[in-house]
Amino acid sequence: MRSFKNSISAIKYLIIALAVILLVWLLPAFYELLTPRTDKMPFVVYSCLDSTFIRFETNENKQVQYIDFKGREFTKSEADSLLPLFAFRQLVAEGRLPDSLYGVALTPKMIQQNSFHFKTSLKQLNKPAVGLYTMIESASGQVDLQLPPDVFRLTDEGLEFIDCETNTVNRAKSLSFSRELTKQGFKFPVHLIWGNGTTRKEYDNGFLLTDAEEHLFQLKMVKGMPWVRKIKDNGKNGCYRRIFTIEPANRQLIGLAVSSDDRLWAIRSDATMQRIGDFHMPMSASAKEKMVNTITIVGDLFHWTITLYTTTDTRYYAVDARTFEQIACEIVPDPAEPLSRRLMRYLLPIRLRFTSWHSQLIYPNINDD
Amino acid sequence: MIKAIFYKEWLKTRLLWFIAVVSHVGLVVYLLLSLRSTLLSHGTVETWATMIGRDTLMIGRLTYLPLLTGVILSLCQWLPEMVQKRIRLTLHLPIDYTRSVTAMLLFGFIGLSVLFMLDASLLAVVEQRWLPRELVWRIFLTCLPWYIAGLLGYSLAAWCILEPQWRGRCFNMLISVPLIALCFLTTQPACYIYMFPWLIALLLVATILPLYSVYRFKLGKQ
Repeated sequence: MRSFKNSISAIKYLIIALAVILLVWLLPAFYELLTPRTDKMPFVVYSCLDSTFIRFETNENKQVQYIDFKGREFTKSEADSLLPLFAFRQLVAEGRLPDSLYGVALTPKMIQQNSFHFKTSLKQLNKPAVGLYTMIESASGQVDLQLPPDVFRLTDEGLEFIDCETNTVNRAKSLSFSRELTKQGFKFPVHLIWGNGTTRKEYDNGFLLTDAEEHLFQLKMVKGMPWVRKIKDNGKNGCYRRIFTIEPANRQLIGLAVSSDDRLWAIRSDATMQRIGDFHMPMSASAKEKMVNTITIVGDLFHWTITLYTTTDTRYYAVDARTFEQIACEIVPDPAEPLSRRLMRYLLPIRLRFTSWHSQLIYPNINDD
Repeated sequence: MIKAIFYKEWLKTRLLWFIAVVSHVGLVVYLLLSLRSTLLSHGTVETWATMIGRDTLMIGRLTYLPLLTGVILSLCQWLPEMVQKRIRLTLHLPIDYTRSVTAMLLFGFIGLSVLFMLDASLLAVVEQRWLPRELVWRIFLTCLPWYIAGLLGYSLAAWCILEPQWRGRCFNMLISVPLIALCFLTTQPACYIYMFPWLIALLLVATILPLYSVYRFKLGKQ
């Protein structure tokens, strides 16, 4: 009887515990709903003519302002002139596109071919992988890329192609691709892999993948056969944290990589790597204090503007598009937290969440604002 | 005695079980036919590519059915006991009332678990003919929180219904709704992988809560 009464009081405590857990979850959630943050991330591009970053900011009247970090404000027409490679369509329409820049003759087609955009965020990256990949034919001879009749999975011994129509393993193709990788020095199992499985692109650079010994390889399918090459890592330290396959229109790059020392690398189409700029971009959860949440790259013929949105500030870097040397840097600390948010930290010192700003996974986390 | 309680619960809920099995199997068959139709009309290659690249699994219609079944079963099983005060008879049976109520709860849990397993197995067995194991597993991981919501909904609804006081019932409902909402925090596939241990712990806690309501009823709280 006594033990039964103990059980009943244990249930009471459990109910109280549940109520408390729900309060520390729901109160901050409701508070945030009532006091939404209106942080705006301005779009920033480096001006090759003025050697300055120009911010595109929307003011309270919903009008776009063009301002540099020295506080100079420009009209739309002035901003277009300062960013001829970014605003070339407008300049062409107005007949104001310069004939040449830094001794390079400019044509709209050439500008377009050398424009490059890249964006990714931790939220996009941190989600459960399907474990199936689509290997597109890279040299079909057709203008439009076609989906292949199979997908592949990674095993400890190699790649395994599964025919979509029959849902069975294509042993011959699996063996052929696995053997070719091994022949080029690839040590299974695959550690990291990245490819763009979409057919909505001009051409295909296949997959970048790292092996058990942290060497980087490119794998493509050319005329139905495997095409593998090892990427020379040019002094990169340690292993790879992230790799991305890219397909820029000028075909000069095949990918980007983030090394374990938080450096960003460009992977050129001649299978060499080059460090981009002189900055760090921590993208791991262990570096929570200063973690890069989102990275955007806007590239043109002469420069890349790299924007890193970190947990404490926004960092803008301009690098030379050919040598990848850093030529300008601007670090803008995040604006002071609004009073409502500071108040929340005092009023609700323990805040439980099940969703996260840096992951799509659902799990309990405390004070991960 | 336990057998007799199970039989009594079966007599009380057999029509509901029939409707539940028909609606669950019906919906799963509909989902499978719809997947087959997509595979045939859009092509297997395109359908696989969409499922892999766009986080689409074509099972969205199943989301709230397990929860609905769990809550309706709970209502059918426990509401007549409270409205007509039949629960008093159960509490006066010549066995410990915790055992008799546990047996009644167990009837619901076993029934729901079998129904949900039937759903999941039917989906998995048929889908594995058309889809690679990675996609079948992904579909299972996506459905699992919905099935846990069904079991949670059953026990939390029982906790609310068996509570003898309206004030307590409102408090229980205030707790139950957000607890069930924990199973529906995202529409992204397979994102609950790290949450399952917590949901299972919560389910274990939720299974014993109806006993507390019955204890309060027996104490004579009105």
